[in-house]
Amino acid sequence: MATASGGSEFVDKFPDEAAIVKASFLIAFVSLGIGAFFGLIQALHRTNVLRVIDSADYYTVLTGHGVLLAIVFTIFFLCGVFHWAVARSLDRPAESALFSWAWVGLMTTGTVLATVAILGGFVPNLGMSADVLFTFYAPLQAHPIFYIGLAMFIVGTWLAGADWFLSYRAWRKNHEDERIPLQTFMVLTTMIMWYVSTLGVAVSVVFFLIPWSLGLIESVNPLLTRTLFWYFGHPIVYFWLMPAYLLWYTVLPKLAGGRLFSDPLARVVFLLFLLLSTPVGIHHQYLDPGIAEGFKFIAMTNTMFLLLPSLLTAFTVVASVEHGARQRGGEGYLRWLGALPWRDPAFTGMALAGAMFAAGGFSGMINAGMNINYLIHNTLWVPGHFHLTVGTAVALTMMAGSYWLVPQVTGTKLYSRPIGLLQVIMWFVGMVFMSNAMHRAGLAGIPRRTAEPQYQNFEFLTPIGSIFELRVQIALGGTLLFLSVVLFLFNILLTSLGEESDRPVDSYLPEPLSGPEGSPRVLDNLAMWTGIAAVLVVLAYTLPLAGIIQNGGGLFGGGLPVPATVSAGFDLVATTVTSAFNTLWGVVA
Amino acid sequence: MKLTKARALILIAFSVPVAIELRTVAGFFNVELPLIAVAVIEFLFLALLFVLYGLYGEGSESAA
Ligand code: HEM
Ligand SMILES: [Cu+2]
Repeated sequence: MATASGGSEFVDKFPDEAAIVKASFLIAFVSLGIGAFFGLIQALHRTNVLRVIDSADYYTVLTGHGVLLAIVFTIFFLCGVFHWAVARSLDRPAESALFSWAWVGLMTTGTVLATVAILGGFVPNLGMSADVLFTFYAPLQAHPIFYIGLAMFIVGTWLAGADWFLSYRAWRKNHEDERIPLQTFMVLTTMIMWYVSTLGVAVSVVFFLIPWSLGLIESVNPLLTRTLFWYFGHPIVYFWLMPAYLLWYTVLPKLAGGRLFSDPLARVVFLLFLLLSTPVGIHHQYLDPGIAEGFKFIAMTNTMFLLLPSLLTAFTVVASVEHGARQRGGEGYLRWLGALPWRDPAFTGMALAGAMFAAGGFSGMINAGMNINYLIHNTLWVPGHFHLTVGTAVALTMMAGSYWLVPQVTGTKLYSRPIGLLQVIMWFVGMVFMSNAMHRAGLAGIPRRTAEPQYQNFEFLTPIGSIFELRVQIALGGTLLFLSVVLFLFNILLTSLGEESDRPVDSYLPEPLSGPEGSPRVLDNLAMWTGIAAVLVVLAYTLPLAGIIQNGGGLFGGGLPVPATVSAGFDLVATTVTSAFNTLWGVVA
Repeated sequence: MKLTKARALILIAFSVPVAIELRTVAGFFNVELPLIAVAVIEFLFLALLFVLYGLYGEGSESAA
């Protein structure tokens, strides 16, 4: 972690970077507002409480909700956080402000294009729509500008990563023997994971979906594009989570009045995520025909390994927070909890987000089990799960973090702490209602992604309570969540309009209790870790992809044959890898 | 420890998941709790908190 900020605030020291962060946050918050409004419409519509849209428009709303929240809000916000974290922890501005604006501009243009395509779905005679949901599975097809916008957005994030790597390289020149500052280490490992994983979605969009939506090719192989999507779709989960982890590891302990427990442990966790995030994507496809059960089993095993860094994080963060509470005079086995700074919305929001993440982890283990997944696949259980993870662990941490970060880039004091506190608590209560009821509804068999979850001659039954109660809870929870977003946006708006202050917030971050000095240097060898990550990806994906292409009607589906050379190449790769695997298996077993 | 507004809010927040899952937990012991019972229990908890806040809350003189 970098040294003390030395009195001068981030915005005074790094005005250009602060402007970039502000711009990223602004777009993130606008998306949050629109996305949350769509969420409210859905929650009320599918529970039949209030219907302002036609059921035929449900997918337009749902696509807008998924894309604006899970892709635009989260990623713009994390770009802001990363830009802040790199500048402050390396203690140097970005190499070129123009370059930074270029990626903000590219991502914004991409967002606008994709959003226009989605909203076009509300105007039937426009002939433009993108009702494909945020997973954009073929054969659902969107207007080309949706995919083009998406591609621009992704390329924008690549440039953002380049920006941070350039800063790091420049820093390295005059800090040859130093350890990479922790926050920068977190940003760089996360971005390497992102580069590895976005390759899949880039191939899917550029080579298949864009040509197909333009009519240049007749069909695509839906299983191939789905698999390429999930190749990226699981790592994106960690792309959302890593900025939240960055805040939990480096900021939350300070807010609690203490310090991070262990810097090396944090590094190990980020490396494990780099290695294990990508070779697990097939766990989203347990029910896809055309992928052999064995590959699904491997994906499941890798997924269970991911519990390790998650539990390491839970331990380190809770230990750091407890340390903080004891510094503040907390005592006893559990009584120290009372000594935490619950008045501070930044602290309370992050702590509640962490608590909900634990619950999300448990329901995630059920999703990850190949056999019990059958019970909840494509039911409302799944949105119940990820509103705890991305929808709370990430989104609530981002909102809570804003109460501490936004004053640093605007130079103004937070407008109201009590409103902030009320906001994060409302989110928690609203999400308890909505997510719990969604999980239960899923167990009863109610499907997700449908405006009218009713079937004639069929009744959903719950073991406890009634479907009616669950509906009321979803509608009530959704309403509280929406109001919480309104309070948040209102508080942030008034903060940014406030008067400049000399010391808008206490932005000093103390050193960890146990620093990086004693830990193995190899932790900082980014090239080596990238190499291992790539090997794991090749091992996990070569055979399944070859199978999907050969058995699933070729690269472009529709039964079109794969060109002979390509097919021979795949055969070669497939036999080599199979025999290597068999040899290995022979050695192990 | 004083029952501050923030602490009271946190306690209310955590009472909600407990209340929602109360029927499940009771079900483990073969007790079928009706919804209204849950509502009453939650209400009693809130009332108790309200009284405690009045006695030991931020505005009150006596600190616990
Ligand atoms: C105002 C708060 C929110 C409300 C009321 C809300 C409500 C809902 C509802 C009811 C669904 C399920 C629709 C269905 O399957 O038929 C849904 C789906 C979804 N929500 Fe939210 N949500 C909120 C916030 C969030 C946040 C903060 C995120 C992520 C950062 C998020 C991400 C998603 C995603 C990715 C889906 C799945 C879309 C799909 O199936 O394609 N939501 N939301
Ligand atoms: Cu996943």
